[in-house]
Amino acid sequence: MVPLVDKTTWLLQAALLLAVQAAVGVVARRVPLAVWLTVLLQALTGLLLLTVVFARAQAIGGLLPGPDVLHEFAQLVAEGTDDVGRYAAPAPATTAIRLLLVGGVLLVGLVVDVVAVTFRGAAPAGLPLLALYSVGAGLAQGRTDWLWFLTAAAGYLLLLLAEGRDRLSRWGRVFGGGQGPAGGAAVLAPGQGPAVAPVRTGRRIGVLVLGLALAAPLVLPSIDGGLLRPRTPGKGEGAGGGTISAVNPLVSLQNNLNQPQNREVMRYRTSAGSPQDLYLRIVALDRFDGSSWRASDRKITDVPVPLPAPAGLAPGAVRTEEAITSVAAADGYAQNYLPMPYPAQSVRVEGRWRYEPEGRTLVGDHGQTTRGARYQVTSLVVEPTAAQLAAAPAPPEKVLREYTQVPSTVPPVVADTARKVTAGAANPYEQAVKLQDWFAVGGGFRYDTEVGSGSGSNAIARFLEEKRGFCVHFSFSMAAMARTLGIPARVAVGFTPGTPQSDGSVSVGSKDAHAWPELYFEGAGWTRFEPTPSRGTQPDYTLAPGPAPDDPAAPSPRPSRSAAPRPAPSTGSGCPAELRKSGGCGKHTPQAQAPARADGPSPLLVTGIAAGALAVLALPLLPLAWRTRVRARRLAPGAGVPAAWQELTDTAWDYGIPPDGSRTPRMAAARITAAGALQGAAADAVTRLATAVEQDLYAPGPAQAPVQGLAEDVTLVRTGLRAAAGRPARLRALLAPASLRRRLSAWGTAWTAARARAVTRVRSSVPRRGKPDA
Amino acid sequence: MTTYDERAGLSALAGTADRVRRSVESVIEGKPEVVRLALTVLLAEGHLLIEDVPGVGKTMLAKALARSVDCSVRRIQFTPDLLPSDITGVSVYDQQRREFEFKPGAIFAQVVIGDEINRASPKTQSALLESMEERQVTVDGRTYELPAPFMVVATQNPVEMEGTYPLPEAQRDRFMARVSMGYPSPEAELRMLDVHGGPSPLDDLQPVAHAHEIVKLVEAVRAVHVAEPVRRYAVDVVAATRHHPELGLGASPRATLHLVRAARAGAALAGREFVLPDDVRALAVPVLAHRLMPTAQARMNRRTAEQIVFDILQRTPVPDPYAHSGPPVPGGL
Repeated sequence: MVPLVDKTTWLLQAALLLAVQAAVGVVARRVPLAVWLTVLLQALTGLLLLTVVFARAQAIGGLLPGPDVLHEFAQLVAEGTDDVGRYAAPAPATTAIRLLLVGGVLLVGLVVDVVAVTFRGAAPAGLPLLALYSVGAGLAQGRTDWLWFLTAAAGYLLLLLAEGRDRLSRWGRVFGGGQGPAGGAAVLAPGQGPAVAPVRTGRRIGVLVLGLALAAPLVLPSIDGGLLRPRTPGKGEGAGGGTISAVNPLVSLQNNLNQPQNREVMRYRTSAGSPQDLYLRIVALDRFDGSSWRASDRKITDVPVPLPAPAGLAPGAVRTEEAITSVAAADGYAQNYLPMPYPAQSVRVEGRWRYEPEGRTLVGDHGQTTRGARYQVTSLVVEPTAAQLAAAPAPPEKVLREYTQVPSTVPPVVADTARKVTAGAANPYEQAVKLQDWFAVGGGFRYDTEVGSGSGSNAIARFLEEKRGFCVHFSFSMAAMARTLGIPARVAVGFTPGTPQSDGSVSVGSKDAHAWPELYFEGAGWTRFEPTPSRGTQPDYTLAPGPAPDDPAAPSPRPSRSAAPRPAPSTGSGCPAELRKSGGCGKHTPQAQAPARADGPSPLLVTGIAAGALAVLALPLLPLAWRTRVRARRLAPGAGVPAAWQELTDTAWDYGIPPDGSRTPRMAAARITAAGALQGAAADAVTRLATAVEQDLYAPGPAQAPVQGLAEDVTLVRTGLRAAAGRPARLRALLAPASLRRRLSAWGTAWTAARARAVTRVRSSVPRRGKPDA
Repeated sequence: MTTYDERAGLSALAGTADRVRRSVESVIEGKPEVVRLALTVLLAEGHLLIEDVPGVGKTMLAKALARSVDCSVRRIQFTPDLLPSDITGVSVYDQQRREFEFKPGAIFAQVVIGDEINRASPKTQSALLESMEERQVTVDGRTYELPAPFMVVATQNPVEMEGTYPLPEAQRDRFMARVSMGYPSPEAELRMLDVHGGPSPLDDLQPVAHAHEIVKLVEAVRAVHVAEPVRRYAVDVVAATRHHPELGLGASPRATLHLVRAARAGAALAGREFVLPDDVRALAVPVLAHRLMPTAQARMNRRTAEQIVFDILQRTPVPDPYAHSGPPVPGGL
């Protein structure tokens, strides 16, 4: 329970009171009093102690609990329950929380005492203790120390041991206990003589079990969150754990999402052309301090008319439209930020509102809230195109410095995953789209509002691993990952566009509460992305190159072209003919096992070792050899359109653009052009190839005359892709072509099919043998 | 191989369709995709359901389409007291000639605009929908063929409004596509103010195609080739709606039929003599979404049928015949 509260003084208090309560029990049993009387006496003692400590002012004579005291307790308990709901671990040790803790410990102590001592049952006495331990361990979310577990478990085992010893000794002498006098004294005093042997055995078993409990999670990789799992490196008492801070509007976000009813919080009418992109923004969280995203403290000013031009948005560079939105907030909705579309240009609102220029938000001054507010916002609908974002110049130094800060406490897995997911992206825009698509489509994430609303560095790592969460997790993680990639990012909190009503207005409910990342692109300014699956809409500009399961690390949940069954080459062994020819298969190397017993290294051995070493050296070049061979076959004259198309998609895959079965040839071509940043002749070549495929697959009649120039087109595309890729991507494409996976999966499929066939054959032969008897 | 006639038919189609499209767009500002879809449905011999809030130009679209094609137009304003016979027609006894004479109802036109179809009683709705499906009307045992081309453009307000009988899913299935107009962009709305300030722009609209031309175009569309992989793709997409966890009711086989027909028209409009999976994709949302019924859970999550169809498109693989053609080697084809 220690990690739950930020000070540990209550522990001493609880221990003292518990000791007094236990002492009363011991005395009462000595007397001896009836069992129920003992329990009653202990309970009364507990109450008395709690009165003295927590409600002395209300007690009769400063000692005896009266009705006032009970009233005070009831109040404290209510308060404590509230506090527990409000704070996450570690909570401040308020009087109310201390009462709950100490009272709870006394109660559990009493139950354990009754069960273990009064009724002499050590094993069931562990249950309340286990409850106590699990509450602490569960609430502290992975911050339980293995030492605490060891202490608790060892204590419990000792309890069991004491009981077992007691019981065994009552049976008389037990086996193996040395040579006592033959037919000697039947009964020994407890704890003496031969009874020691089982005790020793018991101790051994206990130590073994404890050791196993601690070591097993280390050995078994699938049992996640083992006790010995290292905490955040470089952090002391785990201060950066999955805590939330109760100061930002996010806390109410999950509550809103989990409410059974969808209360209307506001209604608006807008002139925006595409209302589904009209997110209402409350506040921007721009500071990522490693434990949470929060809004920086910034200067606020009077609301200027009109508001200054939005940062980074170059007039004329991207298409903008003006939209006028009139909002009526519900009377039950009191928020001290004004929800507005981004970027607002001017606001007409009554009340004491002030302006925060960096986040472009309106903040209520002197307790001003949105309760019942009516206001009108003129905002810009910024419609950048994918090409404009892709071609965005580097952001200004100031933005870059401020919005790409990532504290060193963030686990490296965040940056690693970001890099893995965005491998092959040519510019920050593509990285952002890949990130978004990975979260929304390809990464296997699930939208779930029941997940704890964690924030901070550990929470992000945990989310990336568990892949369950809601908008807060998605937006926090995407923003953090974008920052690790050097893209300026922040998190916006607000509402999705709501539900259009029949009268033309749009109703926004509490369930529309949302958080989303905003990434900065010079020319377009802060740009919205939507990583949360099944919430809101993905902006048009992120769809242009197409959503795709771009993560080469995580297998795509969709059926993809690569997963399609494909007949395997008939080599029979697990080694392709090409590889065998080049001497690469592992089977051919272990000649090194040859006559090692000879005195000196025999010539055979030396040759063997040399051949093995050569083979090992040549091993990394096998994929390259295989790929070159396949390419040559596919691009040979007369190989046809399908071969050329497969070569094209495989080449794109090698350069980090995986195939996606849900795309048509035309879409696949567009994606290769966009993701591979192809231009000019290469882009035309892709289009030509796609058109050839369309003709081949979908046009009526017999196949047309062989299309000329397919091989040249594929080569053009390959050159284009190589020119656009960075050196690591080029090397990867050369030495570890990703399209090798297509072949591997084909082998896998063939193997499964062969095994299934074999099983069927065996099964069908069994009844046949049985038939003559029947 | 494509014959010379087919190519000529297609280029004629592209030309005529383009004229009609421009004519309609001169009245409906800034909604090219809606106009294109309406035209697709006309060429695919389907019926169009326009669903949106009042005043966004639903009726205007229907009228502009009808006027641009030189064909007969009837408009039926659906009200709760409209009778089935008002739509189909009625036999009246002629005193002088001493025989029953058939007075055709409002459905006897080439383009029928059913305004606010969800205001009529279910009985009247079903009278309309039956004649839509069969393209004929039977009154007192006699069957009357409806003229060709025949297209019903029905408009419907969102169902939360008072005094409406929302079309049941089975009835909505009869419509090939549903489209929602959406609000115009501010620029389009400004231009609209200029244009509509004077006399109605519909009055200036001159027919740019004859009805018999449209009939020919429809025949040309029927001849558009749909390859086996594309048909399989359409079936896969529709079948996916039947197993989607967020859908209580998937799309019918009729939906598959409509989807392929619409895709044919879409390909023809693009001047292509064969259908691509892209055509199916582009039309899947308007053709399928209105037939689907999201589960209560999906509705609670604010998932619309459109989003779910989009989701299905993202997950349904395009059949890849190359994948079954073995390792691509020379001569392996």
